[in-house]
Amino acid sequence: MNRIFLRILLAGLIAAGALLAATTAAAADIQVGASVALSGKYSRTGQEQLNGYALWVDEVNARHGLLGRPVRLVHYDDESKPDTGAKLYEKLITNDQVDLLLGPYSSGVALAASTTAERHSFPMVAPGAASSDIWERGYKNVFGLYTPAEVYMDPILELAKAKGLSRVALIYADTAFPRSVAKGVKDKVAALGMSLVFEEDYGKASTDFAAMIVKLKARAPQVLIGGSYLPDSTAFVRQAKEYRLNPEIMAFAVGPGLPDFGTNLGADAEGVMGNTQWEPTLKLPGAREFATRYAQRFGHAPGYHAAGGYGAGQVLEAAVIKAGSLDKDALRQALAGLDITTIFGRYRVDATGLQVGKPGYAIQWIGGERHIVLPEENASHALVYPFRPWQDR
Amino acid sequence: MRSDLALGALLLALAILAPALVNSYQLSVLLQVLMMIALAQSWNLISGMTGYVSFGHAVFFGVGAYTGALLLLAGVPWWAATAAAALLATALALPVGLLTLRLRGPYFAIALLGLNEVGRMTATLWVGLTQGGDGIALTPALLPPLRTSYYALLGLAALATLGVGAVLGSRFGLELRAIREDEGAAEMVGVNTTRDKILAFVASACLPGAAGALYAFYASYIDPMSVFLPALNIQMVVMVLLGGRGTLWGPVLGATLLMGIRELTWAQFPALHLALLGVLMILVVLFLPDGVVSLRRKRPRPAGRVSEECRERGGAEP
Amino acid sequence: MDLLQPGVLFQLAVGGLLAGALYALLACGLNLVFGVMRVINLAHAELMMIGAFIAWLAWRYAGLHPLLALPLAMLLLYGLGLVLQRLLIERIVEREELTSLLVTYGLSIILVNLGLLVFSADFRAVPTLQGAFYLEGLDLVISKPRAVAGAVSVVLTLAVYAFLRYSRTGKAIRGVSEHPEVAMICGIDVARIRGITFGLAAAMAGAAGVMLSTIYSFSPDTGADFILKCFAVMIIGGMGNFLGALLGGLLLGLAEALVGGVLSTQWAEAVAYLLLVLIVRPTGLLGQADAL
Repeated sequence: MNRIFLRILLAGLIAAGALLAATTAAAADIQVGASVALSGKYSRTGQEQLNGYALWVDEVNARHGLLGRPVRLVHYDDESKPDTGAKLYEKLITNDQVDLLLGPYSSGVALAASTTAERHSFPMVAPGAASSDIWERGYKNVFGLYTPAEVYMDPILELAKAKGLSRVALIYADTAFPRSVAKGVKDKVAALGMSLVFEEDYGKASTDFAAMIVKLKARAPQVLIGGSYLPDSTAFVRQAKEYRLNPEIMAFAVGPGLPDFGTNLGADAEGVMGNTQWEPTLKLPGAREFATRYAQRFGHAPGYHAAGGYGAGQVLEAAVIKAGSLDKDALRQALAGLDITTIFGRYRVDATGLQVGKPGYAIQWIGGERHIVLPEENASHALVYPFRPWQDR
Repeated sequence: MRSDLALGALLLALAILAPALVNSYQLSVLLQVLMMIALAQSWNLISGMTGYVSFGHAVFFGVGAYTGALLLLAGVPWWAATAAAALLATALALPVGLLTLRLRGPYFAIALLGLNEVGRMTATLWVGLTQGGDGIALTPALLPPLRTSYYALLGLAALATLGVGAVLGSRFGLELRAIREDEGAAEMVGVNTTRDKILAFVASACLPGAAGALYAFYASYIDPMSVFLPALNIQMVVMVLLGGRGTLWGPVLGATLLMGIRELTWAQFPALHLALLGVLMILVVLFLPDGVVSLRRKRPRPAGRVSEECRERGGAEP
Repeated sequence: MDLLQPGVLFQLAVGGLLAGALYALLACGLNLVFGVMRVINLAHAELMMIGAFIAWLAWRYAGLHPLLALPLAMLLLYGLGLVLQRLLIERIVEREELTSLLVTYGLSIILVNLGLLVFSADFRAVPTLQGAFYLEGLDLVISKPRAVAGAVSVVLTLAVYAFLRYSRTGKAIRGVSEHPEVAMICGIDVARIRGITFGLAAAMAGAAGVMLSTIYSFSPDTGADFILKCFAVMIIGGMGNFLGALLGGLLLGLAEALVGGVLSTQWAEAVAYLLLVLIVRPTGLLGQADAL
């Protein structure tokens, strides 16, 4: 019996030892914590966002740090899973004891992570999240950067209306952000007096759209809108080509905003529309320089996820300077009242922390490149309409 | 028996004192250890003792988590929500048990695995109830504080261990183990195997249901993938096999060891952590089928085991 | 519902049957192992994923077309199957069926996570066989990758069936599956036969994986969906019944496509799980097999 008791005690000690194995950072460093998807469905975009964070940290340090102290980025991979993200933010706050928080990628993970932040009354700047659900819960500690998802497709729907189209088909993944995009689309379609001829959601990990496309063809939509990310939108376009689905306008969230979309699809991306939170061609202070430095460091041009990451860092920096300290309450107040323009665009939030100062833009793949086409005053290329049928390519 | 009680009392005392000694992250890890102990003992009750290995026990955890979360959102106090979750899981176990316990070993395991997936799909598809893939984020104001959740889970773990201890010392426990050795023979001797199996199965669903609800309150966010968690199925199996199935302290030891390994690896190397579990599982099944606890035990084996041993080892008595 | 036009249903049915052929190829291998060794290999779908990754690596780094990578993958997986059989499975064959479940479960976890470590959870695809066949007369579109995958699957499955039926080794395999003791007395090297069987099943899984890589985007944990589909197929067709598994696979594919068309893609994914409920009747719809 003694043996077993000793063995269990030993095991307990092992576990305790594991617990006590906490990393201790130099007291002088300011630690900024983040958990970003580096694997799983959101890995590509998560990586971009993390790159933005990292670039900001380096440049802050080159400018003698924050409040005179060097900044260190502490980050983990949440594998695109909301519950993992929530646990990692718990770890960052209570175990790693970071001073500042930057948000994860995707509204789904942000929904979960923000609850953790709120529970600890720890303000978090969250790029990479656009679903209004996050801000409809009365939390005080989440500050968004992205234009909300509900208005993503508004410019495209208005364009469709102007061209005399009325049959809209809507597909979306069943997670927070795509649902929000879908909600916005449905509201706008109703407001514009157009008709929704098809609506269906699909599983987060789905990449097989054959049955869905067969049904879509039967409904002959003129506008196809997808609330999606990168893997699903890419797979869908491929399969749309196979089955020759030809709407007049084809638009997806997130996917077309990434360079990978063009790389993976090649000529098949031609004419596909999407939206973007940011493009390097926009006339924003420091945007061009940021794009150059990013390309130098990471070997490719930045997409809006990277810019969002960098912009979030800038917002955090401005808030710390305004508050004059790392005190959570002072930071919270500063973030709530801040009105600045970063390389990402204007930052101004409403009482719930939802971003209201920044517009969204519609893009289109033309000639193998991504161009802003709407609103016209920001356009870098004229819109190409209609979507060229697959059999004519 | 007395030494078991002494050991139990000591561990309990340590666990009660813990919140005063550790920071909140470490407390949350301990909380998870306790939850794992409760789950392991539950699994032990059905799979360790009767030999009906369930590969999908996470389904009761998931059902409990959703029940608890939804009731909490509806304004029910957390402890009532937890009790309701346990009740619902138990109620689910009854028809499931009646249907599946007729099946032979592997079919039973797969049936439960499938059930876990059905649970996950239901949570995903029944958007009106569960918010589907979005999951449920619980408002912090409604949640019990960390310490309360900790003590609740401590109670659950203690209850589970006491329950297994009681069963092991009782005639019921003997009947369960008889079922594992040779169900046909047990029936011939007059054991009501159907009733016993169902009882054990239903009992084994009750605690995961409660644990699921408490987990939801602790994590403040749940979605189908995180509570109908395939990895949880693996962990339950490994913990009990590693520690020693059908024993009292085996699951406790297994849970502690597993969580120790997990803490060292999960944040930095999530894939590695699970791969290690897989290796562990194979090694345990191949070389240590009675678990770590059996390393100590050198008592002569009951007669019923000899035939199986002989078949395995070609007749030699170790 | 206007969607229930014959044209749409026909289109869905064709797509479903093609997908089903792939399921059949996969499930027949699993079934074979069960029939011969009474081992349920929970790592079978991971063997398939290894095939998919071999095809991807061959395409990415050697520019090899998947149809050329196919024999390579099958060969490599046959070898892997032999090794796994010798190292692991042979040890547990005599033990209770549950042990094989546990060991192969552990193996599948190891393989998935090794895959995640090496390849990360990013989605990949081998987009070579692009485009579709357009049969104007029937108003039918058949996606090329699915058509090829379906055809290859059917050919391979039937080839294996013929092998089992007519070749000497095939008969030995069937002998071992029906009466292992008698087979031993007849001088058949049972251990060797088991190794060949496992290798063959692994090769079939690998082939399914290569074909999968051309149709779907996949990541190391894609296997998890397929293993449950395999069980559903085995249950529909009867455990151990080779032809049953073939038909069962086709049926499952068909059911999924039709459900996906009439309801939604999410429901289609649930079909396999719901069919698992049929497990309460393990003799399946076509009856228990002694017939391989």
